[in-house]
Amino acid sequence: MQILSILVLPVIIVLIPLYGLIKKVRVYEVFVEGAKEGFQIGVRIIPYLVAILFAIGMFRASGAMEMLIGLLDPVLSLVGFPAEVLPMAIMRPLTGSGSIGVMADLIEAYGEDSLIVKMAGTMFGSTETTFYVLAVYFGAVGVRKVRYAVQAGLIADFAGVIASVAVCYWLFG
Amino acid sequence: MLNYIWAGLIIFSLVFAVASDLGDYFTDEFRNGEEYDITLHFPENAETDRRQDVEFTISGCEPDDQTRCTFQARWFPSDEEKELVFAIQDGMPEHWLHVAANQDARDTDQLRTLVVGFDRDAAQAAIVLPEVHLVKMRSITQAAFDMAEFAVTLAIGLIGIMALWLGLMKIAEDSGLIHKLVKVVNPVLGFLFPNVPKDHPALGAISLNLSANMLGLGNAATPLGIKAMEELQKLNPNKDSATNAMCMFLTMNTASVQLVPPVTLIALLGVGVAELFYSIIIATAISLTVGIIAASYYARKFPEDPALLTEEPTPDS
Repeated sequence: MQILSILVLPVIIVLIPLYGLIKKVRVYEVFVEGAKEGFQIGVRIIPYLVAILFAIGMFRASGAMEMLIGLLDPVLSLVGFPAEVLPMAIMRPLTGSGSIGVMADLIEAYGEDSLIVKMAGTMFGSTETTFYVLAVYFGAVGVRKVRYAVQAGLIADFAGVIASVAVCYWLFG
Repeated sequence: MLNYIWAGLIIFSLVFAVASDLGDYFTDEFRNGEEYDITLHFPENAETDRRQDVEFTISGCEPDDQTRCTFQARWFPSDEEKELVFAIQDGMPEHWLHVAANQDARDTDQLRTLVVGFDRDAAQAAIVLPEVHLVKMRSITQAAFDMAEFAVTLAIGLIGIMALWLGLMKIAEDSGLIHKLVKVVNPVLGFLFPNVPKDHPALGAISLNLSANMLGLGNAATPLGIKAMEELQKLNPNKDSATNAMCMFLTMNTASVQLVPPVTLIALLGVGVAELFYSIIIATAISLTVGIIAASYYARKFPEDPALLTEEPTPDS
């Protein structure tokens, strides 16, 4: 497991350009073209990050976060769910850029190597901004009655949240 | 929903801060104005109206393993008032540390105390710690400003890794890695979309979108997904209402297996993200399975017959 973890990044970083070369892609130019996007995303997420981070920062600084976690923890710990990752579970289906803010806040509060951050990161990676996706895709074709799409999407998100916690306990706990 | 959560965070922070500060005020948490008797130890023949380093001992203090009684300080005399300034040190009374940590000063590592009742001959005095008011109000304001600043440094700091990753992913996209995955995804689709004819272009678009999603190629995935929706819409007898195939597709899209984590997560965690590749693959495999089961269950519960659909009472009509 540990060896696989060490390998995955270098393999991707080396194999993709190699594969591109084999497929006769102009790898350098294509890389630069793709990399430009990084700057755009960085700038685009700033307003969302400010909005979420300052609100959560205030909530944490007021002591309300601590109290909320203290209140929920006895209930949630019955099923082994750490209350600290709840902000991620709530925010993720609602806002993609905002949940980057939640993630950054958790890294600040609990440290990069903590189990909490691993759980929240797994959640971040494994659930989608369901409401946004549904709005974009149904909006694109003019469907207004979405029937059970929201429920089905949220059930899958919920399963993803529970699975993230369970898998992290299993792999890293 | 998001509006309420966001506003709720801010408003509740304020309410909580006010309540907490009122609590501090009524319980006299910081004992503002309390005097501590001390004995000052000046160097021999020192002039006490000069600034100098001194030591002081807290009167009536019994040293033990945890607490000390004598500390270094800097003496700031003037005609109007005398101050004793000292750095926070281990073994100081716990209350002093508490006050120091919450005081309204730039430097919380030191205490700037006011000296009252200085008796030059006996070198006796009392000190008054700085007053502490509205701790939580100050800290939420500070947090709002600090975090706003942090948000920008964070976003700028993410750019490098995001550029690296998106560059690589663009190579992956252009070299047709998506089509490799399509071969894996395709056979399953016919089974999950029974109402879509086998050779219909919708299936092709769906499998391309799902494959792009699995590789974390968000930019490539969205236009493919919209194409898939357009194809599915052509098969839709009731253009206003979602078909089972659409619901299944979007459930699979939002719950899709992530072979590669989102670029922002990679940028946030740096190389530490490596371990999460596996946890994310497993978690998404579970959520995809549950999503497919949920969508099939709903599809069976609410059949797609257009006649039935139009009769369905809708909340907004």
